[in-house]
Amino acid sequence: MTEAADLKECKLKHMKCELNVLSKSDGSAILSQGETVTLISVNGPLDIKVQNQSIEKCYLEVLFCTKGGRPSVPDRYKEHIIRQTCESAIMGSLYPRTGITVTIQELEDYGGLLSCAVNCACLALLNSGLAMRYVFAAVSCAVDETGNVILEPTYQEVMNAKARFNFVFDSRNKNLITGFSEGIFSEAAYEEALEMSRAASDLVFTFYRDIVTKYSNVI
Amino acid sequence: MKVSVGDVVLPGDYCEEISAAGEKSKVIVGPGLQKESNHVYVTKAGVLKKKNPNTYWVDYYQKRYTPARGENVIGIVIQKAGDIYRVDLGSSMSAALSYLSFEGATKKNRPNVQIGDVVYAKTLVGSKDMEPELVCVDSYGKKGRLGVLTDGFLFKCSINLIRKILNPSCPLLDSLKNEWPFELAAGMNGRIWIKAKTMRETIALGNAILGAEYLSDEEIKAMCANIASILAGHVA
Repeated sequence: MTEAADLKECKLKHMKCELNVLSKSDGSAILSQGETVTLISVNGPLDIKVQNQSIEKCYLEVLFCTKGGRPSVPDRYKEHIIRQTCESAIMGSLYPRTGITVTIQELEDYGGLLSCAVNCACLALLNSGLAMRYVFAAVSCAVDETGNVILEPTYQEVMNAKARFNFVFDSRNKNLITGFSEGIFSEAAYEEALEMSRAASDLVFTFYRDIVTKYSNVI
Repeated sequence: MKVSVGDVVLPGDYCEEISAAGEKSKVIVGPGLQKESNHVYVTKAGVLKKKNPNTYWVDYYQKRYTPARGENVIGIVIQKAGDIYRVDLGSSMSAALSYLSFEGATKKNRPNVQIGDVVYAKTLVGSKDMEPELVCVDSYGKKGRLGVLTDGFLFKCSINLIRKILNPSCPLLDSLKNEWPFELAAGMNGRIWIKAKTMRETIALGNAILGAEYLSDEEIKAMCANIASILAGHVA
């Protein structure tokens, strides 16, 4: 993977994070990637309605609140993507007949909201102390008009892009666990974006480890 | 990623040291670790710790309690149901406390426990598949320090703080107990009950405990001295 080597110099947007920002919730994180900011609260395992209880695994609920506060169909779709991603990572069988709630609040959206929300969800889950199979990292890509693949596009680039991708990888084998794409693109562009994102996901995993190292020193 | 003891770990990391030790002798795999096929995987973010011989666990941050057997917890009675009390521990399910599991209780002589009372109890059953069960007596039928906590003040904190103040090497309680008298019960479910002579002392005690969460041993000692001098009226 020579490509991976020179991508080490490639930059993701600058990430800043604070864990345990909310005093009442079991786990919370605020993450900014460039100018995009999300705040996530995780609560659980909780007691839930009998109709939602499952005897073999926990019930995961994801709520997405936009800046405007009015839920729309694309938001429900985002909820669904994040729920499926989190569900694959959380060891739900350890928490039967309980519910876990992940609440996402969008604070600023300058492109890459979905990948920011997924990364923030992972950090909030780490903070809550729920058992997970692996950590996951999301990276966004875009294809511009000339067919070039851009990693972590800016707001302007997202607006002008022909296609947009979001890839989520696990930390064990860097397998793709979620892929979400919109627009018109060629198969080659998809492959290129996938490999670029896979290499860039390393940076996100390093970032997670740095954050956990910082707070592990004080507990 | 491959990790070893003392490292900061994330879910999905594996430790070959544990699997290698497991081939030679028995290994106790504690919280935050999970055996999967031939590797031991980490499931929680924290620091991998080891206690000789062959006990491994991950020290991680946690606020929500999941019941485990044999822990002393503080609960609030929320319901009387037939011959059991329902007790809220802050976990996903309320716990059951039989009225016979108090010292000297018989079918005719029921203990005086009301809804809203705070009880200090031990978990007898703590399993993911069953509801937690509490007792207020030890195996000899003596109550020891368990039972209903009257008066005082109850507050919540993270589970790490409870572990920190109960650690024998932590100077917090040693420093505070020399300054003014108080009673304290720490439940492993992240609840602390305190009782001092005056309200001023109770508030000072509560603030001292909550303030100690992210401090080092030296800083804790300095903070305790500071609070004691404020309480004594030397500092305005």
